[in-house]
Amino acid sequence: MIAHTRLRRLLAGSRLFLILILMMAGLSLLSDRFLTLDNLTNVLWSVCLIGIMCSGAIYAPITGGIDLSVASIAALSGIVLNALMNGAGLNLVLSLAITLGFGLLIGLVNGIVTTRFKVPAFIVTMAAKTYLFGLAMYISKGDQITIMKPRAFLAIGIGKWLGVPFPIYIMAALAVASHILLKHTGFGRRAIAVGANEVAAKLSGVDPDRTRILVYILSAGTAAVAGIVMASLTQQAYAMNAGGYELDVITAIVVGGTSLMGGSGSVAGALTGAVMVGFINNGLNLLNMPASYHPLATGLVILAALILNQGMSLPRTLIRWMARLRPSA
Amino acid sequence: MNGMNDDLLLCAGIDKSYNGPQVLSGVDFSLRRGEIHSLVGENGAGKSTLVKILTGVTQRDRGSMVFDGREIPLEHGRTAAQALGIAVIYQELSLIHGMTVAQNIFLTREPLLPGLRLIDRGKMNRMAQELIDRYGFRLRATDVIDGLSIGQRQTVEILKALSGKASLMIMDEPTSSLTAAESAQLFEIIRLLKARGITVLYISHRMEEVYQLSDRVTVLRDGRKVAVLEREQISPAEIIRLMIGRSLTGRESGNRMVRSSGEPVLEVEGLCAEGRLVDITFQVRRGEVLGFGGLVGSGRTELMRTIYGIDPFQAGRIRYLGKPYVPSVARSIAGGYGFVPEERRLQGIMGGLSITGNIGIANLDASSGRFGLVSGGKELDHARQAITLLNVKPADPDIPVGNLSGGNQQKVVVGKWLIRDLKLLIVDEPTVGIDIGAKEEMYQTLRRLADSGVAVIIVSSDLAELTRLSDRILVLRKGRIVREFAEGTVTEEDVLMASSGILQEVPP
Repeated sequence: MIAHTRLRRLLAGSRLFLILILMMAGLSLLSDRFLTLDNLTNVLWSVCLIGIMCSGAIYAPITGGIDLSVASIAALSGIVLNALMNGAGLNLVLSLAITLGFGLLIGLVNGIVTTRFKVPAFIVTMAAKTYLFGLAMYISKGDQITIMKPRAFLAIGIGKWLGVPFPIYIMAALAVASHILLKHTGFGRRAIAVGANEVAAKLSGVDPDRTRILVYILSAGTAAVAGIVMASLTQQAYAMNAGGYELDVITAIVVGGTSLMGGSGSVAGALTGAVMVGFINNGLNLLNMPASYHPLATGLVILAALILNQGMSLPRTLIRWMARLRPSA
Repeated sequence: MNGMNDDLLLCAGIDKSYNGPQVLSGVDFSLRRGEIHSLVGENGAGKSTLVKILTGVTQRDRGSMVFDGREIPLEHGRTAAQALGIAVIYQELSLIHGMTVAQNIFLTREPLLPGLRLIDRGKMNRMAQELIDRYGFRLRATDVIDGLSIGQRQTVEILKALSGKASLMIMDEPTSSLTAAESAQLFEIIRLLKARGITVLYISHRMEEVYQLSDRVTVLRDGRKVAVLEREQISPAEIIRLMIGRSLTGRESGNRMVRSSGEPVLEVEGLCAEGRLVDITFQVRRGEVLGFGGLVGSGRTELMRTIYGIDPFQAGRIRYLGKPYVPSVARSIAGGYGFVPEERRLQGIMGGLSITGNIGIANLDASSGRFGLVSGGKELDHARQAITLLNVKPADPDIPVGNLSGGNQQKVVVGKWLIRDLKLLIVDEPTVGIDIGAKEEMYQTLRRLADSGVAVIIVSSDLAELTRLSDRILVLRKGRIVREFAEGTVTEEDVLMASSGILQEVPP
């Protein structure tokens, strides 16, 4: 009995990984350029920003919430960093620290509005997405600002160590930290409990509001880190950067097996999800598919992956959602 | 006088069992046109099953049912019951927030504009207002539900039933969440319904209401009809005697109360909480099981929540382990409290999480080590300990708690506290919805805890359970402690009399 449940859980956990392996095998058969170190590094590089954001953003769905403001926070962070570094002339470390602090502050605001004023996270973070984008436009005057200095800053995005780009290390470090936080700390336990049953968690000594506020701070924090990396990588600060990334982040998290209803989550899954989305795009390029078909193909492949990964539970989830939407008689 | 035409409903020999235990056996039941008829009985006597059969929620196994002169077949469904004019006013109100009174009344039956599939809002509002005025209710058709009091919302429920031309209206504990003034208004409405020829089937634990309202009372006990009382025969004390019954099982002999001599664990003095608790003073000692009796809505659950630290209080003092104490959930847990809430599924368990997850969340302090890292091994140990202590089945720490039976779920909720240095355990309704075997185990567990020096507080609506388990019983009524049973023999009847506020009728 015990062995049986364990085995089933292990299989369920690795199903996504199997899909990924299958996808890679298929792509390597279709294109001989696919399975090269250069190409694989390229894919990882392209999914870095999503991966970094996922490691913090995953906690919102785990508690039954959502964070739609991560892309705006990332874009704004690049602009703020440039303004501090090249506008106000502060040194790099101080500029980075202030930018990161600013990001955390945005998360604090999101968290406080959701918990204290009882506004659904969906609405709060959607509003934040809009006004933070507005703030980014205001500070940058809508310009695409090119960043050419300082050199140390540019190294964050394009530097390499042992042939692997720095952003991949940053993603790996954050993902490992997030995994440990989720699976091996009291905070992770409390986040899962709040998502599973807030009232029961509260009666067991969890402070749901405190937990939620921390969740949105984390989410905004990793978004700010992603913004810094992105500014360095693209050598520009622009309000439109990262546009739509919040949906890629949520897609990766959901493909990775985290339920939007709360109570469970997997950082490794979210990362696998992000890599999978990266491979899909990469594969379409390698197969010389016209760019105008990409979104259509990506969407369909994601849908297929979701259904394969969820097995029986996706239809059941949908039915539960429909039942919720229908007013109880 | 009692001719066939006077009877709206005639049930004879109703049997019902849910896979095994007989819930109703050979119940005869009748309702006259335009009467207010009360159905009383202890928890588990079969009241709600009888109502479910009438409303078509469940089917009877045997017995005949005639409604309004028409034979009702065994497979009697919910829609059929509605079509016959049988309406239920539910305890948990089923109105849709954000909609108006008129929209709720005519939900799914909205009048449409001729030839179009659009709602004729003006006509709907006029129809609703006509209905309201016909009964003289203080409501407007265009009021939005959110702005109405609980009592007014109940009125809307009644209107909804009336608009469907109900001839029988069933009210199940309708006053449990109403204020005294709202209850009085509801009684006026009920009498008005009667005057209009509508039959009201009234279900309540509150004897004074049954006494005030009823033309007749049917008493159920252990799934059987014990008596039907006519207006002049109705007295609260008599009803209670019939409900509890005099059997040879020794129930009437009652249970001896025992004064505990342990040092006080929790002392509460003059506790008042706005509109819920009035001047509550009591203490509970080491090794004692203190029972709280009272009707639903008497403030028992509110008191438990307040001393645990969920809800605030305005006046009074609490001492815990001899020191002044202001409860908060986190402080209470750290200090050695355990709390088992009333609604297991909604408040007790995290159904999607494993046994380990459910037990772990209350014991993070014990499983966390350096750098705030939680030891999965320790959590698994905790889960295994609880599983062994309480004999949880299946004994698999990884199984989601939502997949367990009710009894095993309750064991998990209790179990998470037992692996701690527990000093005070509060259990609100320890055995609701769990099977007999698990019940017995729960009683033994609670007794064992008390014997090991834990102070145990239980709240129970099951009088047999309350008198059997408690060393001492306090009875709450309308937010006050009205009676203490601390010595001598206490019977279920004594507790029910005190809960119903008819102490003076208790024979010496």
